[in-house]
Amino acid sequence: MSDLDKAIAQLRACRPIPESQVRELCYKARELLIEEGNVVSVDAPVTICGDIHGQFHDLMELFRVGGDVPDTNYLFMGDFVDRGFYSLESFLLLLCLKVRYPDRITLIRGNHESRQITTVYGFYDECIRKYGSANVWRYCCEVFDYLALGALILGATTDLAPTSSISLEESTQSTLPADDDDIESEVLDSQGRVQCKTIRTPPLRDPPTNSTSNGHISPAPDRDALSPPAERPPSSSLPNASSPTLGSTPQPSTSQQSSSSFPIHPPSSTGSILCVHGGLSPLIDTVDKIRLLDRKQEVPHEGAMCDLLWSDPDDIEGWGLSPRGAGYLFGSDIVTHFNRKNDLSLIARAHQLVMEGYKEMFERQIVTVWSAPNYCYRCGNVAAILEIGEDGANGGVVGRSNGDVGRRYGLGEEQVPHSSLPPPGRRYRVFEAAPQDSRGMPAKKPVAEYFL
Amino acid sequence: MSAPQIPNLHTLRRGVGRRGGRGRGVASGVAESNNETNQTRKDAIVQSTDTDAATSRLSAVEAGYLDDPFAKLLTHGGHVDRRLPLMNRGTYVRTVAIDRLVDEFLRSTRKCARQIISLGAGSDSRFFRLKTKYPDICLSYHEFDFPTNTAAKIHQMQNPSFAHSLKGLCNMDLPSSSTSLSNDGIQNDSFQLQADSCHYHLHPLDLRTLTNPKRNQDQIKQDLSRLGISLDVPTLLLSECCLIYLPPEDADSVLSYFTSAFHPAIPVAVVIYEPIRPHDAFGRTMVSNLTARGIHLQTLHAHDSLAAQKERLGKHGLGSMAGKETGGAEAADIDFIWQTWIEEAEKERVEGLEWMDEVEEWRLLARHYCVAWGWRETSDNVNDSVFEPWGQLPMQDEEA
Repeated sequence: MSDLDKAIAQLRACRPIPESQVRELCYKARELLIEEGNVVSVDAPVTICGDIHGQFHDLMELFRVGGDVPDTNYLFMGDFVDRGFYSLESFLLLLCLKVRYPDRITLIRGNHESRQITTVYGFYDECIRKYGSANVWRYCCEVFDYLALGALILGATTDLAPTSSISLEESTQSTLPADDDDIESEVLDSQGRVQCKTIRTPPLRDPPTNSTSNGHISPAPDRDALSPPAERPPSSSLPNASSPTLGSTPQPSTSQQSSSSFPIHPPSSTGSILCVHGGLSPLIDTVDKIRLLDRKQEVPHEGAMCDLLWSDPDDIEGWGLSPRGAGYLFGSDIVTHFNRKNDLSLIARAHQLVMEGYKEMFERQIVTVWSAPNYCYRCGNVAAILEIGEDGANGGVVGRSNGDVGRRYGLGEEQVPHSSLPPPGRRYRVFEAAPQDSRGMPAKKPVAEYFL
Repeated sequence: MSAPQIPNLHTLRRGVGRRGGRGRGVASGVAESNNETNQTRKDAIVQSTDTDAATSRLSAVEAGYLDDPFAKLLTHGGHVDRRLPLMNRGTYVRTVAIDRLVDEFLRSTRKCARQIISLGAGSDSRFFRLKTKYPDICLSYHEFDFPTNTAAKIHQMQNPSFAHSLKGLCNMDLPSSSTSLSNDGIQNDSFQLQADSCHYHLHPLDLRTLTNPKRNQDQIKQDLSRLGISLDVPTLLLSECCLIYLPPEDADSVLSYFTSAFHPAIPVAVVIYEPIRPHDAFGRTMVSNLTARGIHLQTLHAHDSLAAQKERLGKHGLGSMAGKETGGAEAADIDFIWQTWIEEAEKERVEGLEWMDEVEEWRLLARHYCVAWGWRETSDNVNDSVFEPWGQLPMQDEEA
């Protein structure tokens, strides 16, 4: 058993590892993370998780419900630390798993992965309490600075297919209807029982007048001559023989006809999914602009990097001031425009407590995933994780150059490419807090504060 | 895709049974002495809620939310752990909301004496803040609490630094014969401070002793006079997380005891701050978390909403009246009060004190606490009204 495996075993038992091992772990993690871009590409299938906040026993529950690493691929959207009593064990375990299985687990930065916030909300105090000095806190903060700011999930399927990437021997899968290809999303409880599901309805399209839809679907005919077909293969029209609902493969020359009566995208492919802790920024209109940021620093009080980690969607138009004092509020119009411009079918984010564990907004263009059940041992909420399936029909080939979409339309053209992409198939697993009296693991009885 | 090798703690736990079964409805047949020990222990837990509240108050003061030079002087131990920003904000809103009601009560146009009766006041510093703010105030201020709590407060007041602030800020002196503590440290007589027409009384008294139904109105009036409580002065009765710890019938009796003693012509009001909404996920978790600590919110289900709180006040003769008598009964949750009672500039100041990354949690928490205020008075014209400003406060519509 390697030292790393030993450390993983020790942390799984919720026991901190020695300071020297933390230093070594953090060094290795930094070497790994420095190679990652600001926006990490992640292939489906993957399970998206929201805030953890040091609730170690609930993180174990998450792995029990969602599958263990490395059997399941995970993407954690930040806020590993603060508030709960086991920030240290939770973060170090995730970091160990990252170093041990770098391709199986992705960690991106939350607004709590910051020196300033951790001194207010508990992680700093916890490190001092457990190690007697701030060294471990300092090592961890250095890792925070290297965490990616976002992730782009590629190759997601639009339909929840029981055969996609999920092994059939799992008992939790047996409840899936095997012959139903049209499930867009479903919610399972922690036992794998289906709580509810939605069937995919035909995607909303612009009015099927040729003049409108034409411009939205493919470059105007007069620009065809300027841009050779080879240069702009919309991945939506990648040959996909297995797709039964596609009447005709939309070729550039026929898109005018097919556009009015057929979905542009075969049901088995979709745009990519942007994962970010908080949300959008008025300074960021393309995913590429995120890639240009200098992320290796403490989270600033303002600016694009701050916004990505602090902003929230809200029922407003445009941008609004955030009650958090950092980041912005952004409305559905902002999300619609951003998703279209970047060929995104969904934004997944965390950051906000939602009592049901997840919340879809703006006609399924953005979802909040929250993975800390009974947050702060006080809120009474359930938690959720979001499973994104693999587009099996494409044979694992990723058919979209994400973030580069605008190039299809030539330079200098401010053009909204087409109407909304169909959202990916979404399987939510909802789970409750783990009991605190779990044997074998230290479980100090948490005291939630009230006004007495 | 579950991981079967990770044990399901939920199923392992089944059959263990719920912990912390002590508390309400202790089975009859238990030996009397056991009952007494049990009761003493439960009382000690309720008494200790003041330490918790004092810690929250001091934390909010030290973080700059509240200006209260007496908070530290009246808190045992001095240093306290800092509370999280949302707790500080909650303590802040609770304090300024009650301050506002009290201020309106004190400043209302009729120039005459005022009386405040604070139930379960513990280490509260409100009287000293009021005296600092209104040096010429004509006020009789009575605090009631368990003898354990009043003794602790008197002990804190014996500290020279308290005496110094009392003199400097309130222009008041501690009584020279302040050695009235008995050997066991429990004082059983009322403690008094006085300066001109301003009186401060600290009454060591278990409120449950007031609930004896055999005492008639005359006896109650005698009791109150003996305590120095005047029955012909506009009076405000304050319960800041106090009545909630009593059995519902006792809490009702305590309210009746005070409100019914006053002649209908005397303006009387009640202000209550306590948790509400026990039925949703947050509320259920709150009840079970506090129960695990031995803290039972005994009247919570009886007065579980803003409407129920108003109805409760109405039952005690506070609320809308006919003819010359006027009154009202209102309630608002802390979230609403934060949004509507605090001026923008002040809100900005408070928001700027600390990072507040707990916006959803704050709303959740703040919606589970309320201030309820009810009043009655007889007046021929609005200029005579003591409580007229109370009707002008932003009102919360029924449950969202």
